Amino acid sequence: MVMVSNLEVPRELRKEALKHDMYLKPISEDTYELFFGPQHMATENFSIILKMDGSRVEKAIANPGFLHRGFEKLAEQRPYFTNIALLLRICVPESDVPENIYSMAVDELVGWEVPERAIWIRTVVLEMARLASWMFWIMGFANEIGLYTAGSWAAAYRERFMRLFEELTGGRVYHIYTVPGGVRRDIPGDRWLRQLGDTVEYIKSKLKDFDEILFDNYITFARTEGVGVMDRKFALDHAVTGPNLRAVGVPYDVRKDDPYYLYPELDFEVPILNEGDSLARVLVRRYEMEQDLYILEQLLEMGPPGGPYMVQDKRLKSLPRFKVPAGSAWAHVESTKGDFGAYVVSDGTHKPYRVHIRGPSQSHGITVLEELLRGARLADVPVILKTLDNCPPDIDR
Amino acid sequence: MEEGNREEVAEVALNDVVDAVIERAPYAQGKVIRERRVEFSIPAEKLRDFLRVMKESGFEMLMQITVVDWLKEGKFELVYQMWSVTHSTHAFVRLEVQRDDARLPTVMDIFPVAETYEREAHEFFGIDFEGNPRLGPFILEPREYEKHPFRKDFSTLSYVKEIYGEDFDRYDESKTNYVI
Repeated sequence: MVMVSNLEVPRELRKEALKHDMYLKPISEDTYELFFGPQHMATENFSIILKMDGSRVEKAIANPGFLHRGFEKLAEQRPYFTNIALLLRICVPESDVPENIYSMAVDELVGWEVPERAIWIRTVVLEMARLASWMFWIMGFANEIGLYTAGSWAAAYRERFMRLFEELTGGRVYHIYTVPGGVRRDIPGDRWLRQLGDTVEYIKSKLKDFDEILFDNYITFARTEGVGVMDRKFALDHAVTGPNLRAVGVPYDVRKDDPYYLYPELDFEVPILNEGDSLARVLVRRYEMEQDLYILEQLLEMGPPGGPYMVQDKRLKSLPRFKVPAGSAWAHVESTKGDFGAYVVSDGTHKPYRVHIRGPSQSHGITVLEELLRGARLADVPVILKTLDNCPPDIDR
Repeated sequence: MEEGNREEVAEVALNDVVDAVIERAPYAQGKVIRERRVEFSIPAEKLRDFLRVMKESGFEMLMQITVVDWLKEGKFELVYQMWSVTHSTHAFVRLEVQRDDARLPTVMDIFPVAETYEREAHEFFGIDFEGNPRLGPFILEPREYEKHPFRKDFSTLSYVKEIYGEDFDRYDESKTNYVI
């Protein structure tokens, strides 16, 4: 391990930062300061400043801000429909989630009944995004614990969803597809639906390979069992959501508890575990992957309903000057990271007055991470970070 | 049970939740907006007391603190958004503070997660949360600290011009219809 003794932080900046406890106090004889990230593979544009005592973490300070692009401020200066191309960049691995929450909130403000076909497409897109994001997560997590094969497989399987997305929307990572009132384009045709069916079937057959190499592997158990434990009260107090909350035994899933789109008609389970350690968080994600495949199968069996894919409204003909009635709305969906929500305030003009996005990592990426890292070993830092599934862009926005 | 019937039952149950909260906190006004959405407005000085009542009434999670800058009225509207796992309901707790002297007590000890939200609101809007020890540069760079960029009177264009100066030659002051 490299001793970090000479920190290259400009003196005046360091003085200012010390005042606000941003960087840690100068190093004593036994302890040293370690900058974990943003170059580290596990942190993704995020950094943690660790005060180390040997290989134990004495104190951790999360240091976000590398991805701040001021989207919420910029959204106030653009028309409603233009904002889609901006806000989806808040969640990189599943960019459909910010699109959908923003569109749902605007739909509620305008009072639009979104057509059935658009609802079906939106549900399919959200579930595809979830699966693509699970693959992305396996890629990160498996690489962190040294099981590189599983990571490479997951990257290849994610590619299948990327191709389907490309054919549906024209974009691979950022789709700019869901817009207030419906979706931007129709489904390319029956061939695309068949391809989606094949992909679901294929990923389903590969899950047992993942079990063998990753989820039922003794290395995974040895690295994650009993690491980064939280209990139910701690999780609720810190507003932890998603798989992390379900790993402490709280069955909260937005798709069940505040149903949207087609989810009330679909049959799926919300897996919960009670241990609250990293292993429980990993296994909850594994079970959810299975449920998502099952949901997609049901949706494909249902088939897309007929009718328009966009709401029929005369006002849509003059899009840039499209005005939304004054009011405020909150919409949220279940993403793989947790409860992702948008609060949109309108003052009756053609631009939103305020857009505020709630990223799930805001709650489990700062205070929870700092608490769980205290006393952990250095080797467990990436494991805790990856099992919490911290997504830096939704902290910074 | 039929769909419509179930919704009615849910709404009646929500009314009971709102009534129970108001009974314990008579200074608050509350109403049911729609299924799974309730709203309360409270005076700013009763914030801590009210959030404690909310937590004991089953709203376990503080999801977000949203600040809306109403420049013309000279006020910040703060929306404490809470989720109840028990009632499956989202609650908006609205309060207003004066824009020029925005101070509020911290709610960190009731909801520890509020620390992060308050740091963010402090940095972007300049609201002082008394009792939160970690207010300071958080997401922005230290040179941008205390500029409070999300306030409505902060101009992104003039800030960019100030920082990048002559290099930013696309900016033309005579034009008024930039969308940046």
